[in-house]
Amino acid sequence: MDILILAILMGLYYWFARLRLGYTFSSMLLQPVVIGVFVGIISGNMILSMQIGAGLQLVYLGVTSTPGGNVPSDPALAGCIAIPLGVLANMSPEVAIALAIPFGVLGVFVDQLRRTLNAIFVHMADRYAEKADTGGIMRAAFVYPAILGFIIRFPVVFAINYLGESVVQQLLATLPQWLLHSFELMGGILPALGFAITIKVIGKNSLMPFFIMGYFAVVYLKFDVMAAAIFGTCIALLLKLIMFGKEATSNAK
Amino acid sequence: MRNEDTVMERSSAITKSDITKSMWIYWLGAELSNSYERLQSLIFCASMIPILKKLYKDKEKLSEALKRHLIFFNTEGTLGAAIQGIAIAMEEENARKDSGSSAITSIKTGLMGPLAGMGDAIIWAALMPIIIAVFIPLAKQGSPLGGLLPLILYPAITLGISYMLIHNGYQLGKISILNMLKGNRMKSIIFTANVIGLFMMGALSASYVKLTTPMVVVMAEGSKIVVQDILNMIVPGLLPLVAVYGIYWYLTKRGPYYSRILAAVVVFSLVASILGIL
Repeated sequence: MDILILAILMGLYYWFARLRLGYTFSSMLLQPVVIGVFVGIISGNMILSMQIGAGLQLVYLGVTSTPGGNVPSDPALAGCIAIPLGVLANMSPEVAIALAIPFGVLGVFVDQLRRTLNAIFVHMADRYAEKADTGGIMRAAFVYPAILGFIIRFPVVFAINYLGESVVQQLLATLPQWLLHSFELMGGILPALGFAITIKVIGKNSLMPFFIMGYFAVVYLKFDVMAAAIFGTCIALLLKLIMFGKEATSNAK
Repeated sequence: MRNEDTVMERSSAITKSDITKSMWIYWLGAELSNSYERLQSLIFCASMIPILKKLYKDKEKLSEALKRHLIFFNTEGTLGAAIQGIAIAMEEENARKDSGSSAITSIKTGLMGPLAGMGDAIIWAALMPIIIAVFIPLAKQGSPLGGLLPLILYPAITLGISYMLIHNGYQLGKISILNMLKGNRMKSIIFTANVIGLFMMGALSASYVKLTTPMVVVMAEGSKIVVQDILNMIVPGLLPLVAVYGIYWYLTKRGPYYSRILAAVVVFSLVASILGIL
């Protein structure tokens, strides 16, 4: 595929995913495993694309829960840059991930800019409401933020993908080993931030033993994620039965 | 007189499809126009348009209703559908009797906090990472299903919940929802979600936080001690657990300074890499 077309498509994808059209749909479009599918289709190398996507997903898995919509890092920007570049340069997933981390951080600032500028449209909507112009409110809620989003999101991804692999390869070659290793460390620690945020959101300190149980079920008993989901759910349901009795489950409404 | 009344009622009657339409607008744009100033106010107002246009034929009244829904609003968008349902029922009541439009605002503000807390814990902290994590092994093998299945399942499940909530909210009205929130049933659902969520966070932390030390202490007589081996002898997987707990502790004690923690992780990684301790 021509690099120009690929860069345009990735720019458009990033814009559309970050547009957040469809509350729980777009939040999945932002995830590296889903970006991997898109890159796989346009690059023709589905397997490597999905492998890099999966590796990157692990870094950002915990960062899905964002109270108040504040992203602590942007998996979509990282994915829209690292996956296509990684696939084109035939990088190992680890190197592509190291490449992605700085972009994930950059994405935070882009989103803060968007949400600051979006305030303009609320004031426009105030004026439309004064005139009972419902069409105007709909435009302020959908069309104008979409145009703004395109202006601040498309160029970043387009430019980096277009300038392309050669620049990135050179950059990676000049980076010292200790810097690359520090990226790997960040990649290893960042999920901890995501999980910590999630635990904080759940906000039940007294239930922390369940966190410990889940943790050591993997360390000692070698559970995989599916096994943990099954046993975790059963434990929760059994405890609910004990604590709340049967009537809590059966007398619905 | 009575005849007129029924005609009035029929002309303003909200249909089931109007309510569903309102749900779709909110779902489509809940984050799209989100701003730091008033968060989801703009989309909540936009989602009420199909309803308000039917209820208020008078331009002045329509304008007033639109402005009423442009005030600050923010909640978790999936469970937030319940608030929409209630707001629709109350607007309908208000249009009929012109009674207490301030009640609409106060019930919205009263419900948005608790529903946001519950929604974040159930929909975002438990449901989403679990759906993604379950299919990661597929993605690792290079299968596109690892991405496509979460992309389909997550919206389908959350939309189903929203659909149920907006229609129930409309039917039940504000009092029943408040009772439901206080009731035992809700408590038991939240408890179950919390336990599953925390158990999974533990499992995911152990699977995906990667932290080991290459440190080797050389003793005076020349024998080497590999620090990671000693750590493994005490408790395997201790370092990742310390990382998660340390950050969690900071979040609880100091507050949600994500950027600060992010910066700390970056600096820490650089220093640890240069010193060769991790």
